[in-house]
Amino acid sequence: MTIHVEQLRPLAARIHRRFMPGLLTLLLVLSSVLAPFASSFAADKLVVYSGRAERLIKPVLDAFTAKTGIQVDLLSSGTTELVNRLKAEGDRTPADLLLTNDAGSLELARGAGLLRPLNMREVERAIPPQFRAADNSWVGLSGRFWIIAYNTTLVKPDQIGSLLDLAQPQWKDKIAIPNSGSEYLQAGVSVIRASHGDERTKKFLEGLRDNAGSQVYQKSSQIVDAVAKGQVALGIVNHYYVYRHLATQPTAPLAVLMPDQKDGAMGAIMNVTGIGITKSSTHAENAKLLIEFLISQAGQKMFADLDKEYPLHQDVKADPALVDRKSFHAAMVPLTRLAELREPTLTLIEQVGLR
Amino acid sequence: MTTLRQQLASPLQLAALATAGLILLPLGYVSILALSADPAVWSRLWATRIPELLFNTITLAGAVALLTLILGVSTAWLVVRFDFPGRRVWEAALILPLAMPTYVLAYVYTYLLGFGGPAERLWQLWAGPQARIVSPHSFWGTTLVMALDTFPFVYLLTRSALLSLNVSFEEVSRACGVSRLMTLWRVTLPLMRPSIAAGIALVILYVVSDFGAVSLLRYQTLTYAVFQQMTGRSDNTAASILSVLLVVLALLFLITERWFRQRSRFYQTAGRYRPPQRVRCSWLGTASITAFMSLIVAVSFGIPAYLLVTWSLSPEAQAILDSRFYGFIWNSALLATAAATVGVIVGLPLAYLASRRPTALTIGCLQAAYAGYVLPGPVAALAVLVLSLKIAPVLYGTAILLIIAYVIHFLPAGLQSLEPALQQITPNLEEAARTLGLGVRETWRRVTLPLIRNGFVVAWVLMFLQTMKELPATLLLRPVGFDTLAIRVWLEASEEYFQLAAPAALLIVLLSLPALFLLVSKDWRAA
Repeated sequence: MTIHVEQLRPLAARIHRRFMPGLLTLLLVLSSVLAPFASSFAADKLVVYSGRAERLIKPVLDAFTAKTGIQVDLLSSGTTELVNRLKAEGDRTPADLLLTNDAGSLELARGAGLLRPLNMREVERAIPPQFRAADNSWVGLSGRFWIIAYNTTLVKPDQIGSLLDLAQPQWKDKIAIPNSGSEYLQAGVSVIRASHGDERTKKFLEGLRDNAGSQVYQKSSQIVDAVAKGQVALGIVNHYYVYRHLATQPTAPLAVLMPDQKDGAMGAIMNVTGIGITKSSTHAENAKLLIEFLISQAGQKMFADLDKEYPLHQDVKADPALVDRKSFHAAMVPLTRLAELREPTLTLIEQVGLR
Repeated sequence: MTTLRQQLASPLQLAALATAGLILLPLGYVSILALSADPAVWSRLWATRIPELLFNTITLAGAVALLTLILGVSTAWLVVRFDFPGRRVWEAALILPLAMPTYVLAYVYTYLLGFGGPAERLWQLWAGPQARIVSPHSFWGTTLVMALDTFPFVYLLTRSALLSLNVSFEEVSRACGVSRLMTLWRVTLPLMRPSIAAGIALVILYVVSDFGAVSLLRYQTLTYAVFQQMTGRSDNTAASILSVLLVVLALLFLITERWFRQRSRFYQTAGRYRPPQRVRCSWLGTASITAFMSLIVAVSFGIPAYLLVTWSLSPEAQAILDSRFYGFIWNSALLATAAATVGVIVGLPLAYLASRRPTALTIGCLQAAYAGYVLPGPVAALAVLVLSLKIAPVLYGTAILLIIAYVIHFLPAGLQSLEPALQQITPNLEEAARTLGLGVRETWRRVTLPLIRNGFVVAWVLMFLQTMKELPATLLLRPVGFDTLAIRVWLEASEEYFQLAAPAALLIVLLSLPALFLLVSKDWRAA
């Protein structure tokens, strides 16, 4: 049987008419859908998993891109969620760096073998050893303190001396707290446990739960907002949220109380923001460049000014609006212990039934 | 001819089986994870979280159901049985809230009812400076937001029932000397009961599985707790236990609803059908109905939409409208289009086989596909994430995985309109076409497809709309740097940056509106 080309022509035209639009759409969709996947192989690109709010970190990363030309793709999410994600992804993770708001999570990631040890002289020169992992798998970038934010029209600062005072019945319905999933609540409670023991901590948490009622928030910025508006008198947050709020609304009746400062008291609870390079990163050199940028004086300064945290580089000064770092002392629980303390802390939090 | 059909059927059969399996997989995975959990985890959760979560979830669903019942039935009754100037406008306006995702309404109400917000200031002018109003972050606040957003389900179903109700039943009742009120109570309402129940069922399923609104309103339900457990702890056991509870709760509810509907079945007896006569309203009636309608539409759509527009025009919001923002629009549109298209393609064999070759196997496949209905977003995401890493790691971190999660989650909504569309055409039509000499393919193209086209469009639009708004699965599975409009709304609104969340929220509403009207202009089927 012979087939003439002419005979095929209408058929080809029909196939063309019928399938081409669909085929083109399919190609378009496929290419877009696969693009994010493919992009992780591109050379001058870094993928950062960030447990920090996007607005706190993006400007710094943009400055890095402007300086080096290295593109940074950012995935902003919860810190624990990102550690879980890294664990699940294993070798296949597209992430080059993990940036979190909690040293405990970084230490957990290190323990799970998700981060690679770093040998960088710059890091050792800039960041004191108590703010990084023993093998430099993670490096602290900035310090934050768990403080009491109070409304100056509702509370006098001498009414309260310790975080533990917040459990007293006089503060019923007058305090706001973060929810039990937040890493800094978990870290804070871990430090209290290490300093005061489980029994005392449990009593404290029960009081906190009863006093807070439904004032349990997902975000620190909401707690600060509630305190500033006078919806509650006191709240527990990381210090910089207060200063960020005051920077935009200088007249807000809002102030910071550094708790547990009496002689022999526990001291303020400290945590750090930190960063580590993932074990399976294929862009380790670029990732090192980013860390170098973040711990350089310029990077630290930017970080400190933008976020109102305490820079960890000794030669960089904190924002003058902040409580002078030399005027208060921090709790003596090493950051690297936060990871091992976490699991029993979670159990305690759940036993008490904090939301 | 039979052999040809069988040949055609077997790949279809395979496709249907594969789809059903794919959808059952997550449910199975989560159940296994939960059942293999350490009993200590179960007892800890029972002692601490579960009673509160169950109580919160059930009472919220109940209160929202009650409020939507009142709002939905009263508005439907007014637009069907009364005639007043502007009736047609209200008839359409009452569906507008469906274009507004619940979390958008939630965040607008956080501002409106919040501490020191406009509603409280107004109230304080009247009741003194210390007066407080209901907090949006409370049981009643959450109930209000949910009910305002979901009452159109009840309204739409009740309205279509009322429109197709044969008025002769009522006339017979009246002729037998039953009072107007008793007729309403003993004749009309029972006749509408199945439709109202179906509407309420949609509302309850929606409330039970909602994540966005409860997370913004900080109201602890099971779905929200599942997400919190997944993102706040380093193992997913507790999350899977709560998920299984949630699935059981939804199943129990679905079974109750089925049973309830089967007991009340009404048939149109032979004879003439007449639509009811509308009662003409006096000016007083018109005024009070207009006031009532304005109030409902204003609080459920008008005021929120107005706020979104003004916020979007603010300089803060304008500043974020850069190329990155257009990327979010493109991502949303792309995902929604892809998920809806894949959903229709995948759903077709299931619906086709169940209506044409209703063997135990094909019906089973269809039923299995409905499993996605009881699987809340975070749970579906959890399962898809873990399974993909085990089975198909290549897909991990791509948008394809997201699309799979969407299809699993939203296919039931699509099937609900694909299935009846196929059932409506009798196989005789196709057989007639075949006897008249058309081939299998020609029959499909010229007979079957045109007849089911409307059902297809509705299914596609439904899945498109739902994907546009989806939050928890997108939050957990999105590729790096691949945010959608919904994600942007949630990220900004959860820190109460009202202005910054507004442009994305407004766009979701605007993109949903045409699709919504397309839907309502056709025969309405579940959403």
